[in-house]
Amino acid sequence: MDGMNTRDMRVPEPGAGPREGDGPDLDSLLARVARGDQGAFEQVYDRLAGPAYGLIRKVLRDPAQSEEVAQEVLLEVWRNASRFDPARGSATTWVLLIAHRRAIDRVRSASAEAQRDQKSAAAAISSPDEVADAVEANLDRERVRRCLSSLTDIQRESITLAYYGGYTYRQVAGLLNVALGTIKTRIRDGLIRMRDCMGVGW
Amino acid sequence: MNLLRHDLHILTGAYALDALEHAEQERFEHHLQRCQPCSHEVRDLHETATQLALAVAEAPPPQLRERVLAAVARTRQLPPATDQRPVPKPRSVWLPRLAAAAAAVAAVVAIVLGVTQSATQSKLDRVQAREQAIAAVLNAPDVRIASHRTSVGGTATVVFSEVSHKMMVTTAGLPPLPASKVYQLWLIAPGNIRSAGLLPAPAGGRTAPVLAAGLAAGDRAGVTVEPAGGSRQPTTTPIIAIPLAG
Repeated sequence: MDGMNTRDMRVPEPGAGPREGDGPDLDSLLARVARGDQGAFEQVYDRLAGPAYGLIRKVLRDPAQSEEVAQEVLLEVWRNASRFDPARGSATTWVLLIAHRRAIDRVRSASAEAQRDQKSAAAAISSPDEVADAVEANLDRERVRRCLSSLTDIQRESITLAYYGGYTYRQVAGLLNVALGTIKTRIRDGLIRMRDCMGVGW
Repeated sequence: MNLLRHDLHILTGAYALDALEHAEQERFEHHLQRCQPCSHEVRDLHETATQLALAVAEAPPPQLRERVLAAVARTRQLPPATDQRPVPKPRSVWLPRLAAAAAAVAAVVAIVLGVTQSATQSKLDRVQAREQAIAAVLNAPDVRIASHRTSVGGTATVVFSEVSHKMMVTTAGLPPLPASKVYQLWLIAPGNIRSAGLLPAPAGGRTAPVLAAGLAAGDRAGVTVEPAGGSRQPTTTPIIAIPLAG
Protein backbone atom coordinates (compact mmCIF):
# COMPACT_ATOMS: atom_id res chain seq x y z
CA MET A 1 0.00 0.00 0.00
CA ASP A 2 1.03 3.50 -0.71
CA GLY A 3 1.15 4.66 2.86
CA MET A 4 3.17 1.73 4.08
CA ASN A 5 6.42 2.28 2.30
CA THR A 6 8.72 1.43 5.15
CA ARG A 7 11.61 3.33 3.64
CA ASP A 8 9.64 6.51 4.13
CA MET A 9 8.88 5.75 7.72
CA ARG A 10 12.32 4.91 8.88
CA VAL A 11 13.76 6.31 12.03
CA PRO A 12 16.75 8.49 11.23
CA GLU A 13 20.15 7.33 12.32
CA PRO A 14 21.39 8.88 15.54
CA GLY A 15 22.30 12.48 14.92
CA ALA A 16 20.94 12.42 11.39
CA GLY A 17 17.84 14.39 12.29
CA PRO A 18 14.37 13.50 11.17
CA ARG A 19 14.61 14.53 7.53
CA GLU A 20 14.13 11.84 4.92
CA GLY A 21 16.99 11.39 2.52
CA ASP A 22 15.16 9.83 -0.43
CA GLY A 23 13.30 11.80 -3.04
CA PRO A 24 12.32 15.40 -2.46
CA ASP A 25 12.34 16.04 1.27
CA LEU A 26 9.03 16.57 2.97
CA ASP A 27 9.83 20.15 3.92
CA SER A 28 10.17 21.21 0.30
CA LEU A 29 7.16 19.10 -0.70
CA LEU A 30 5.09 20.96 1.90
CA ALA A 31 6.35 24.28 0.56
CA ARG A 32 5.04 23.21 -2.85
CA VAL A 33 1.76 22.10 -1.29
CA ALA A 34 1.44 25.57 0.26
CA ARG A 35 1.56 26.98 -3.29
CA GLY A 36 -1.33 24.76 -4.32
CA ASP A 37 0.62 21.89 -5.91
CA GLN A 38 -1.70 18.88 -5.73
CA GLY A 39 0.95 16.52 -7.12
CA ALA A 40 3.22 17.44 -4.21
CA PHE A 41 0.30 16.82 -1.85
CA GLU A 42 -0.12 13.32 -3.27
CA GLN A 43 3.50 12.59 -2.43
CA VAL A 44 3.03 13.93 1.08
CA TYR A 45 -0.06 11.74 1.36
CA ASP A 46 1.80 8.64 0.24
CA ARG A 47 4.50 9.20 2.80
CA LEU A 48 2.51 10.35 5.80
CA ALA A 49 -1.04 8.97 5.50
CA GLY A 50 0.09 5.62 6.92
CA PRO A 51 1.80 7.07 9.99
CA ALA A 52 -1.07 9.52 10.56
CA TYR A 53 -3.78 6.88 10.18
CA GLY A 54 -1.90 4.39 12.35
CA LEU A 55 -1.49 6.92 15.13
CA ILE A 56 -5.13 8.00 15.01
CA ARG A 57 -6.27 4.40 15.06
CA LYS A 58 -3.98 3.65 17.96
CA VAL A 59 -5.69 6.39 19.96
CA LEU A 60 -9.29 5.97 18.77
CA ARG A 61 -9.31 2.23 17.93
CA ASP A 62 -12.54 2.44 15.95
CA PRO A 63 -11.57 2.13 12.25
CA ALA A 64 -14.48 4.15 10.86
CA GLN A 65 -13.92 7.02 13.25
CA SER A 66 -10.19 6.87 12.63
CA GLU A 67 -10.71 7.11 8.91
CA GLU A 68 -12.93 10.13 9.36
CA VAL A 69 -10.39 11.88 11.58
CA ALA A 70 -7.54 10.94 9.22
CA GLN A 71 -9.43 12.58 6.36
CA GLU A 72 -9.90 15.77 8.41
CA VAL A 73 -6.23 15.78 9.34
CA LEU A 74 -4.96 15.31 5.80
CA LEU A 75 -7.28 18.00 4.54
CA GLU A 76 -5.99 20.27 7.31
CA VAL A 77 -2.45 19.59 6.08
CA TRP A 78 -3.53 20.80 2.66
CA ARG A 79 -5.35 23.88 3.98
CA ASN A 80 -2.66 24.89 6.48
CA ALA A 81 0.47 23.98 4.52
CA SER A 82 1.48 27.64 4.36
CA ARG A 83 1.61 27.70 8.16
CA PHE A 84 4.24 24.98 8.37
CA ASP A 85 7.50 26.46 9.61
CA PRO A 86 10.55 24.19 9.16
CA ALA A 87 12.40 26.17 11.84
CA ARG A 88 9.96 24.80 14.41
CA GLY A 89 10.30 21.10 13.64
CA SER A 90 10.24 18.52 10.85
CA ALA A 91 7.38 18.18 8.39
CA THR A 92 6.68 14.66 9.65
CA THR A 93 6.35 15.96 13.19
CA TRP A 94 4.09 18.81 12.08
CA VAL A 95 1.70 16.43 10.34
CA LEU A 96 1.72 13.84 13.13
CA LEU A 97 1.18 16.55 15.71
CA ILE A 98 -1.98 17.59 13.90
CA ALA A 99 -3.03 13.92 13.68
CA HIS A 100 -2.45 13.34 17.39
CA ARG A 101 -4.25 16.51 18.43
CA ARG A 102 -7.29 15.77 16.29
CA ALA A 103 -7.48 12.23 17.65
CA ILE A 104 -7.17 13.60 21.18
CA ASP A 105 -9.85 16.21 20.49
CA ARG A 106 -12.16 13.40 19.51
CA VAL A 107 -11.36 11.45 22.66
CA ARG A 108 -11.82 14.45 24.91
CA SER A 109 -14.94 15.92 23.33
CA ALA A 110 -17.60 16.71 25.87
CA SER A 111 -19.85 13.80 25.00
CA ALA A 112 -17.03 11.30 24.83
CA GLU A 113 -15.86 12.51 28.20
CA ALA A 114 -19.26 11.86 29.73
CA GLN A 115 -19.56 8.39 28.24
CA ARG A 116 -16.06 7.33 28.94
CA ASP A 117 -15.79 4.50 31.38
CA GLN A 118 -12.41 4.51 33.01
CA LYS A 119 -12.41 0.76 33.54
CA SER A 120 -13.00 -0.22 29.97
CA ALA A 121 -10.57 2.47 28.90
CA ALA A 122 -7.96 1.14 31.27
CA ALA A 123 -8.34 -2.26 29.65
CA ALA A 124 -7.32 -0.64 26.39
CA ILE A 125 -3.90 0.35 27.67
CA SER A 126 -1.13 -0.31 25.23
CA SER A 127 1.76 -2.25 26.57
CA PRO A 128 5.09 -1.76 24.85
CA ASP A 129 4.93 -5.38 23.77
CA GLU A 130 1.63 -4.79 22.10
CA VAL A 131 3.09 -1.83 20.26
CA ALA A 132 5.76 -4.04 18.85
CA ASP A 133 3.80 -7.25 18.39
CA ALA A 134 0.69 -5.92 16.74
CA VAL A 135 2.65 -4.97 13.70
CA GLU A 136 5.22 -6.60 11.53
CA ALA A 137 8.58 -6.38 13.21
CA ASN A 138 11.09 -4.11 11.62
CA LEU A 139 14.07 -2.13 12.65
CA ASP A 140 12.22 1.09 13.48
CA ARG A 141 9.68 -0.56 15.66
CA GLU A 142 12.36 -2.65 17.22
CA ARG A 143 14.25 0.46 18.18
CA VAL A 144 11.18 2.13 19.70
CA ARG A 145 10.39 -1.08 21.56
CA ARG A 146 13.93 -1.38 22.82
CA CYS A 147 14.02 2.23 23.96
CA LEU A 148 10.62 1.93 25.64
CA SER A 149 11.77 -1.13 27.52
CA SER A 150 14.80 0.77 28.80
CA LEU A 151 12.47 3.05 30.78
CA THR A 152 11.20 2.47 34.30
CA ASP A 153 7.72 0.95 34.49
CA ILE A 154 6.11 4.23 35.52
CA GLN A 155 7.91 6.19 32.81
CA ARG A 156 6.88 3.70 30.14
CA GLU A 157 3.30 3.33 31.27
CA SER A 158 2.73 7.04 31.68
CA ILE A 159 4.14 7.79 28.22
CA THR A 160 2.13 5.08 26.45
CA LEU A 161 -1.06 5.94 28.35
CA ALA A 162 -0.69 9.62 27.55
CA TYR A 163 0.40 9.31 23.93
CA TYR A 164 -1.31 6.16 22.66
CA GLY A 165 -4.14 6.18 25.19
CA GLY A 166 -4.92 9.88 24.79
CA TYR A 167 -5.12 10.51 28.52
CA THR A 168 -4.21 13.75 30.25
CA TYR A 169 -1.43 13.44 32.77
CA ARG A 170 -4.03 13.91 35.53
CA GLN A 171 -5.94 10.91 34.23
CA VAL A 172 -2.70 8.98 33.94
CA ALA A 173 -1.91 9.82 37.57
CA GLY A 174 -5.34 8.47 38.53
CA LEU A 175 -4.96 5.29 36.48
CA LEU A 176 -1.51 4.55 37.88
CA ASN A 177 -2.38 5.80 41.34
CA VAL A 178 0.70 8.01 41.43
CA ALA A 179 0.97 11.63 42.60
CA LEU A 180 0.46 14.33 39.94
CA GLY A 181 3.89 15.87 40.43
CA THR A 182 5.50 12.48 40.04
CA ILE A 183 3.69 11.82 36.77
CA LYS A 184 4.73 15.17 35.27
CA THR A 185 8.34 14.39 36.13
CA ARG A 186 8.22 10.77 34.96
CA ILE A 187 6.74 11.70 31.60
CA ARG A 188 9.42 14.30 31.01
CA ASP A 189 12.32 12.16 32.25
CA GLY A 190 11.05 9.18 30.27
CA LEU A 191 10.72 11.17 27.05
CA ILE A 192 14.17 12.66 27.46
CA ARG A 193 15.51 9.16 27.92
CA MET A 194 13.66 8.03 24.78
CA ARG A 195 15.10 10.99 22.90
CA ASP A 196 18.63 10.09 23.93
CA CYS A 197 18.07 6.40 23.26
CA MET A 198 16.76 7.00 19.73
CA GLY A 199 19.20 9.74 18.91
CA VAL A 200 16.50 12.19 17.95
CA GLY A 201 18.13 15.54 17.60
CA TRP A 202 17.01 18.67 15.95
CA MET B 1 8.17 32.96 40.39
CA ASN B 2 11.10 30.56 40.15
CA LEU B 3 9.03 27.81 41.58
CA LEU B 4 6.28 28.52 39.11
CA ARG B 5 8.68 28.52 36.20
CA HIS B 6 10.26 25.32 37.32
CA ASP B 7 6.85 23.80 37.64
CA LEU B 8 5.92 24.91 34.14
CA HIS B 9 9.17 23.63 32.70
CA ILE B 10 8.44 20.15 34.03
CA LEU B 11 5.37 20.16 31.78
CA THR B 12 7.40 20.02 28.55
CA GLY B 13 6.97 16.23 28.47
CA ALA B 14 3.23 16.21 29.09
CA TYR B 15 2.81 19.06 26.59
CA ALA B 16 4.74 17.18 23.90
CA LEU B 17 2.33 14.25 24.34
CA ASP B 18 -0.77 16.51 24.29
CA ALA B 19 -1.47 15.37 27.84
CA LEU B 20 -2.32 18.78 29.31
CA GLU B 21 -5.85 19.94 29.92
CA HIS B 22 -7.02 22.78 27.74
CA ALA B 23 -6.49 25.71 30.13
CA GLU B 24 -3.13 24.38 31.23
CA GLN B 25 -2.07 23.94 27.63
CA GLU B 26 -2.90 27.56 26.86
CA ARG B 27 -0.95 28.71 29.88
CA PHE B 28 2.00 26.58 28.89
CA GLU B 29 1.98 27.83 25.29
CA HIS B 30 2.04 31.35 26.63
CA HIS B 31 5.04 30.47 28.75
CA LEU B 32 6.75 28.75 25.79
CA GLN B 33 6.91 31.97 23.84
CA ARG B 34 9.16 33.50 26.44
CA CYS B 35 11.14 30.44 27.53
CA GLN B 36 13.67 29.47 24.92
CA PRO B 37 15.08 26.42 26.73
CA CYS B 38 11.52 25.15 27.07
CA SER B 39 10.75 25.56 23.39
CA HIS B 40 13.99 23.81 22.41
CA GLU B 41 13.12 20.95 24.68
CA VAL B 42 9.55 20.78 23.40
CA ARG B 43 10.82 20.66 19.81
CA ASP B 44 13.06 17.70 20.66
CA LEU B 45 10.33 15.92 22.58
CA HIS B 46 7.87 16.44 19.73
CA GLU B 47 10.37 14.76 17.43
CA THR B 48 10.63 11.96 19.97
CA ALA B 49 6.85 11.58 20.05
CA THR B 50 6.99 11.35 16.25
CA GLN B 51 9.10 8.21 16.61
CA LEU B 52 6.39 6.73 18.83
CA ALA B 53 3.88 7.54 16.11
CA LEU B 54 5.96 6.03 13.32
CA ALA B 55 6.14 2.81 15.31
CA VAL B 56 2.38 2.31 14.94
CA ALA B 57 2.02 3.31 11.29
CA GLU B 58 -0.69 1.36 9.55
CA ALA B 59 -1.93 1.28 5.96
CA PRO B 60 -5.04 3.46 5.70
CA PRO B 61 -8.10 2.10 3.90
CA PRO B 62 -7.46 2.46 0.13
CA GLN B 63 -10.58 4.58 -0.44
CA LEU B 64 -9.23 7.25 1.89
CA ARG B 65 -6.72 8.43 -0.69
CA GLU B 66 -9.34 9.15 -3.32
CA ARG B 67 -11.62 10.87 -0.85
CA VAL B 68 -8.86 13.10 0.50
CA LEU B 69 -7.62 14.02 -2.97
CA ALA B 70 -11.18 14.80 -4.08
CA ALA B 71 -11.66 17.01 -1.02
CA VAL B 72 -8.34 18.71 -1.68
CA ALA B 73 -9.41 19.53 -5.22
CA ARG B 74 -12.37 21.54 -3.93
CA THR B 75 -10.81 23.12 -0.83
CA ARG B 76 -9.22 26.54 -0.79
CA GLN B 77 -6.00 26.87 1.18
CA LEU B 78 -5.22 29.35 3.92
CA PRO B 79 -2.85 32.19 3.10
CA PRO B 80 0.46 32.22 4.99
CA ALA B 81 0.36 33.76 8.43
CA THR B 82 1.73 37.26 8.17
CA ASP B 83 3.10 37.42 11.69
CA GLN B 84 5.77 35.19 13.14
CA ARG B 85 3.73 33.90 16.02
CA PRO B 86 2.87 30.22 16.26
CA VAL B 87 -0.52 29.16 15.01
CA PRO B 88 -2.08 28.71 18.46
CA LYS B 89 -2.37 32.37 19.36
CA PRO B 90 -1.47 33.62 22.81
CA ARG B 91 -4.10 34.94 25.15
CA SER B 92 -5.53 38.15 23.82
CA VAL B 93 -4.38 41.46 25.10
CA TRP B 94 -7.75 42.90 25.94
CA LEU B 95 -7.84 46.61 26.00
CA PRO B 96 -5.71 47.83 23.12
CA ARG B 97 -7.79 45.76 20.75
CA LEU B 98 -11.10 46.75 22.23
CA ALA B 99 -11.63 49.87 20.18
CA ALA B 100 -10.82 48.18 16.89
CA ALA B 101 -13.00 45.19 17.66
CA ALA B 102 -15.87 47.33 18.88
CA ALA B 103 -15.66 49.15 15.57
CA ALA B 104 -15.69 45.81 13.74
CA VAL B 105 -18.74 44.70 15.69
CA ALA B 106 -20.44 47.99 15.00
CA ALA B 107 -19.70 47.51 11.30
CA VAL B 108 -21.29 44.07 11.39
CA VAL B 109 -24.31 45.51 13.18
CA ALA B 110 -24.54 48.17 10.48
CA ILE B 111 -24.48 45.48 7.81
CA VAL B 112 -27.21 43.55 9.59
CA LEU B 113 -29.27 46.71 9.87
CA GLY B 114 -28.63 47.59 6.26
CA VAL B 115 -29.71 44.21 5.07
CA THR B 116 -32.91 44.42 7.05
CA GLN B 117 -33.82 47.96 6.01
CA SER B 118 -36.02 46.52 3.34
CA ALA B 119 -37.70 44.09 5.68
CA THR B 120 -41.05 44.57 7.33
CA GLN B 121 -41.58 47.02 10.17
CA SER B 122 -41.90 44.29 12.79
CA LYS B 123 -38.64 42.81 11.69
CA LEU B 124 -37.10 46.25 11.89
CA ASP B 125 -38.39 46.67 15.45
CA ARG B 126 -36.77 43.41 16.40
CA VAL B 127 -33.51 44.48 14.85
CA GLN B 128 -33.64 47.77 16.71
CA ALA B 129 -34.25 45.97 20.00
CA ARG B 130 -31.29 43.79 19.21
CA GLU B 131 -29.19 46.77 18.36
CA GLN B 132 -30.02 48.27 21.75
CA ALA B 133 -29.17 45.05 23.50
CA ILE B 134 -25.85 44.95 21.64
CA ALA B 135 -25.19 48.57 22.55
CA ALA B 136 -25.91 47.70 26.19
CA VAL B 137 -23.16 45.05 26.14
CA LEU B 138 -20.74 47.33 24.33
CA ASN B 139 -21.33 50.06 26.91
CA ALA B 140 -21.19 47.89 30.02
CA PRO B 141 -18.60 49.21 32.51
CA ASP B 142 -16.64 45.95 32.48
CA VAL B 143 -16.91 45.14 28.78
CA ARG B 144 -14.08 42.97 27.49
CA ILE B 145 -13.24 41.39 24.21
CA ALA B 146 -11.45 38.21 23.26
CA SER B 147 -10.62 37.04 19.78
CA HIS B 148 -9.16 33.61 19.10
CA ARG B 149 -8.51 31.30 16.18
CA THR B 150 -10.65 28.19 15.99
CA SER B 151 -9.16 24.77 15.46
CA VAL B 152 -10.75 24.59 12.00
CA GLY B 153 -9.55 28.00 10.86
CA GLY B 154 -11.12 31.43 11.09
CA THR B 155 -11.63 33.41 14.25
CA ALA B 156 -14.33 33.90 16.83
CA THR B 157 -14.66 37.17 18.70
CA VAL B 158 -16.53 37.51 21.97
CA VAL B 159 -17.52 40.81 23.53
CA PHE B 160 -18.76 40.19 27.05
CA SER B 161 -19.65 41.74 30.34
CA GLU B 162 -19.74 39.81 33.57
CA VAL B 163 -21.78 42.56 35.23
CA SER B 164 -24.60 42.31 32.73
CA HIS B 165 -24.13 38.53 32.28
CA LYS B 166 -24.23 38.95 28.53
CA MET B 167 -21.99 38.20 25.62
CA MET B 168 -22.00 38.77 21.93
CA VAL B 169 -20.22 36.53 19.47
CA THR B 170 -19.20 37.06 15.88
CA THR B 171 -17.02 34.92 13.66
CA ALA B 172 -15.04 35.37 10.50
CA GLY B 173 -13.64 32.79 8.13
CA LEU B 174 -15.18 29.65 9.64
CA PRO B 175 -15.38 26.84 7.08
CA PRO B 176 -18.85 26.71 5.51
CA LEU B 177 -21.06 23.84 6.69
CA PRO B 178 -23.44 21.67 4.70
CA ALA B 179 -27.13 22.45 5.23
CA SER B 180 -27.41 19.51 7.61
CA LYS B 181 -24.97 21.09 10.09
CA VAL B 182 -24.84 24.25 12.13
CA TYR B 183 -22.40 26.03 14.42
CA GLN B 184 -23.76 26.14 17.95
CA LEU B 185 -22.62 28.44 20.70
CA TRP B 186 -22.22 27.27 24.31
CA LEU B 187 -21.51 28.63 27.74
CA ILE B 188 -19.21 26.06 29.25
CA ALA B 189 -18.48 25.54 32.92
CA PRO B 190 -17.32 22.25 34.44
CA GLY B 191 -20.34 19.96 34.57
CA ASN B 192 -22.61 22.69 33.31
CA ILE B 193 -22.85 23.34 29.58
CA ARG B 194 -25.66 25.58 28.31
CA SER B 195 -26.59 26.32 24.76
CA ALA B 196 -26.20 30.00 23.91
CA GLY B 197 -27.86 29.78 20.53
CA LEU B 198 -26.95 28.93 16.96
CA LEU B 199 -24.67 30.99 14.77
CA PRO B 200 -26.53 32.30 11.74
CA ALA B 201 -25.36 31.28 8.29
CA PRO B 202 -22.36 33.42 7.38
CA ALA B 203 -22.64 36.29 4.94
CA GLY B 204 -19.40 37.18 3.21
CA GLY B 205 -17.54 34.79 5.50
CA ARG B 206 -18.78 36.48 8.68
CA THR B 207 -21.59 35.63 11.02
CA ALA B 208 -23.83 38.37 12.41
CA PRO B 209 -23.51 38.90 16.17
CA VAL B 210 -25.29 36.42 18.38
CA LEU B 211 -26.33 37.80 21.72
CA ALA B 212 -26.57 35.49 24.71
CA ALA B 213 -27.50 36.07 28.34
CA GLY B 214 -26.84 33.98 31.43
CA LEU B 215 -23.08 34.36 31.49
CA ALA B 216 -21.68 33.22 34.85
CA ALA B 217 -18.26 33.68 36.39
CA GLY B 218 -15.76 31.11 35.13
CA ASP B 219 -17.67 30.31 31.94
CA ARG B 220 -15.99 29.76 28.61
CA ALA B 221 -17.63 30.51 25.31
CA GLY B 222 -17.43 27.47 23.04
CA VAL B 223 -18.55 26.63 19.52
CA THR B 224 -19.30 23.14 18.20
CA VAL B 225 -20.60 21.73 14.94
CA GLU B 226 -24.04 20.23 15.52
CA PRO B 227 -26.82 18.74 13.40
CA ALA B 228 -29.11 21.43 11.89
CA GLY B 229 -31.43 22.76 14.58
CA GLY B 230 -28.80 22.38 17.27
CA SER B 231 -28.33 19.94 20.13
CA ARG B 232 -29.20 20.02 23.83
CA GLN B 233 -25.61 19.22 24.74
CA PRO B 234 -22.53 19.34 22.50
CA THR B 235 -22.01 16.20 20.44
CA THR B 236 -18.66 17.18 18.93
CA THR B 237 -15.41 18.65 20.16
CA PRO B 238 -15.52 22.43 20.50
CA ILE B 239 -13.59 24.13 17.73
CA ILE B 240 -12.87 26.91 20.20
CA ALA B 241 -13.30 27.56 23.92
CA ILE B 242 -12.63 31.12 25.00
CA PRO B 243 -12.22 31.88 28.70
CA LEU B 244 -14.56 34.70 29.72
CA ALA B 245 -12.63 36.25 32.54
CA GLY B 246 -10.53 39.33 33.02
